[in-house]
Amino acid sequence: MLKINDLKVCYGNYRILKGIDLEIRQGEVLSIVGESGTGKTTLALTLLGLCQGKVEGKVTLEDENILTLSEDEKRTLRWNKISIVFQDVARALNPLMTAGEQIMEPMLENKLYSLEKAKARVLTLLKEVGLSQGCADLYPHQLSGGEKQRVLIAMALANNPEVIILDEPTSALDAITRVEILKLLKKIAAGRTVIVVTHDLSVAAKLSQKMAVLYSGRIVELGETKKLLQNPKHPYTRGLLRSFPNMTTTKDLQGIPGRQENVLEGCTFHPRCTQKISRCEQEVPELEQQADRKIACHRGGIVTLLETRDLVKKYNRVKALDKVSIELVEGETLAVVGQSGSGKTTLAKCLMGLEDSESGEIFFNGSKLVNRKKEFYKQVQMIFQTPQECISHRLNVLDAVIEPLNIQGIGSREERKEMAKKALQEVQLAVDDSFLKRYAHYLSGGEIQRVAIARALVINPKLIIADEPTSALDASVQAKIIRLLLDIQEKRGLTMLFITHDIALARKISDRVAVMLSGRIVEEGPTCEVFSSPQHPYTRDLLRAAPELSSHYSQETKTLQYCQVLKLQERSGY
Amino acid sequence: MHVDYFNCVKKNNMGRMGLILLVIISTIAIFAPLLTFYHPAETSPNTLQFPSAKHPLGTNDIGQDILSRVLYGARTTLVVAFLVGITSTLLSAFLGGTAALFGGLYERIVMRIADVFLTLPSILVIILITSYVRPGLLMLVIVISAFSWQGGARVIRAQTLSLKNKAHIAAARTFGAGNLYILRKHILPDLGPLMVAGFVQHARRAVFMEAGLAFLGICDPTTVSWGIMLNRALEFAYLNVWYWLLPPGLALSLTVLSFTFLGYALEETVNPRLRVKENA
Repeated sequence: MLKINDLKVCYGNYRILKGIDLEIRQGEVLSIVGESGTGKTTLALTLLGLCQGKVEGKVTLEDENILTLSEDEKRTLRWNKISIVFQDVARALNPLMTAGEQIMEPMLENKLYSLEKAKARVLTLLKEVGLSQGCADLYPHQLSGGEKQRVLIAMALANNPEVIILDEPTSALDAITRVEILKLLKKIAAGRTVIVVTHDLSVAAKLSQKMAVLYSGRIVELGETKKLLQNPKHPYTRGLLRSFPNMTTTKDLQGIPGRQENVLEGCTFHPRCTQKISRCEQEVPELEQQADRKIACHRGGIVTLLETRDLVKKYNRVKALDKVSIELVEGETLAVVGQSGSGKTTLAKCLMGLEDSESGEIFFNGSKLVNRKKEFYKQVQMIFQTPQECISHRLNVLDAVIEPLNIQGIGSREERKEMAKKALQEVQLAVDDSFLKRYAHYLSGGEIQRVAIARALVINPKLIIADEPTSALDASVQAKIIRLLLDIQEKRGLTMLFITHDIALARKISDRVAVMLSGRIVEEGPTCEVFSSPQHPYTRDLLRAAPELSSHYSQETKTLQYCQVLKLQERSGY
Repeated sequence: MHVDYFNCVKKNNMGRMGLILLVIISTIAIFAPLLTFYHPAETSPNTLQFPSAKHPLGTNDIGQDILSRVLYGARTTLVVAFLVGITSTLLSAFLGGTAALFGGLYERIVMRIADVFLTLPSILVIILITSYVRPGLLMLVIVISAFSWQGGARVIRAQTLSLKNKAHIAAARTFGAGNLYILRKHILPDLGPLMVAGFVQHARRAVFMEAGLAFLGICDPTTVSWGIMLNRALEFAYLNVWYWLLPPGLALSLTVLSFTFLGYALEETVNPRLRVKENA
């Protein structure tokens, strides 16, 4: 068992690791993920006793503190008990030695094998890592990248160590080679304690059972790999996941705002965090157990911003909302899809307080909403479906965008004007006087929609309820606006309830999707899951009706069976 | 509804006429002291004189200059007209607007009161009240206003109800606006045309009402009012005092006419369906 206690490393004044606590059981594969510069490699090197900086804390392997060992003792430790596959394949091999010689080196250095036996072992190792025996006599420049990687793995296996550290094992490889190497690593990892240091989440997902997310020298989230990737709770983990291109999620790539800074006080992630509170700037959060994982966050991970429980709204006898329960966490997009008349807009109106719900509860920021005050509307904004109507014909562009600021009483006159101009610039509109003085009915559909969006954004809300905000726009303008909203989501953690009937759009922008039918949510879940394996027949119909660019239309699968059933039921007065 | 009232009224023949008349009458009312030689209340021993160079319209039974009284009378009429116009318009806007906005019991109470006032023959009630109170000018304004808001209130409530459901008001609500903000910024401006039309109507009615009450002799007899002049002159009709009877009657008719013309013109601008095709 490898145990790390309060490990701190600094290079001069620069603290690179700020107190790491980890426990890796025998036979367990742990991945350490994070952006470059978060201290992953330093951690790996420290475990081998190769770190150049000042090291504090304890690393215990079999009840022995590695850090206090003498240089000689460390030498026997390396390769025999802990070995590493280095990150930089090209530079890790000595160009003057053949592959076979290099694999033999650790065996001979530690005098574990005689030359004869070592030579024989090299051949078995080469076979084990999937290389032909002839490779033993080749020099590194004669090997391909994948082959070099395999040689390095063979080296790490040479003395049969208990712990193997893999530092970015696949970063320089092409996709096909990568898969092969991953298979190999999976094979050799069996029965060994392995630490995978990587920024490639798919490598972590393939190899490891446990995952530690490292940020700026601290572990921010630790738990089972599968759970962390499926449902990240720390904003940083979610940011990593969102910026990682993969075939599982469908949402457009989003980064993490800001850049890594050397934070002296408080949570290391707070300058980039979109849900920080004042406490985050002062105190360092402890890594605490929370349900199925450990997490270091003063807010207990990503917070739930809006939640409804069994919301019911009737218009006469028609149930527009029938026990609707949704949950929206900070910084995510929930797409509500369904055909017109399914209650999507009613849901938005009930949330905004434009309609009263008959029964059910709405929670905002953890507290129950009884009556909505100005403060609520400062944080929650709505983009209406009909922008032409939602801007009074008496207001020119500037007045319209300033109106929310006037109502909320934010800033002085001059400041308001500046804020309005900034919001207009954000939505790619002109800010010259002639445009600012124009009335809404003189604008084009796309312009007026963007003015409406600027109005919603100008007071910098935390949650936007967007009711078909782009349905009236052509695709190129729509793309720009969607891009803008996602950018704001990335920058400020904007949470969105995105109401749309456009399935293709929902797929690109949402983290989760809720399918509505006759006032009920019939299916809800991560967008990728719902769209790749829809459970409800209505969802399947929606997907069949979604726009695509192929010209095949004749497939019998294109018939919308469930919708036909529904229509029949309606006709027969069901 | 961006209505440029002035230009619309100016383009309309009736409107132009009404406007010119009203401007003339107002000018006379304002500059009355410069246009006359006598104070209207000033008596003299020269009673019941036929028009002459000294008294262009003659004198009345107690020797007051009739011209002075006609010109000064315009002041009373216009003051009453404007004050009643403003108070009853504001009253109807306030009651109708708030009824529509707040709804519920408040709305029902206000609208039932409006219904009661609509069914009451208000002239009779006003005559009854004023004959007991014998009101001064201000009291007269209040009494007339109190009985002329009901029609306007219904119209404004209806308009507010339709405005209330407009999306831009819903949008303002989602910015956190309260009822007062919405009334001030979004509803009143759109009620403007209705209120202007209402104002003219109320003013016209007030001119009529004031003169009528004065003619019946149920207001303060010391006010200089065309109605009172008519009342007094009729008593001396057997002496053939047309120079006394005719001018206040004519002035009264012209004032009412000017308001009526203006009212027609405004109604046309506010309600485009009444507009005669301009380029046809």
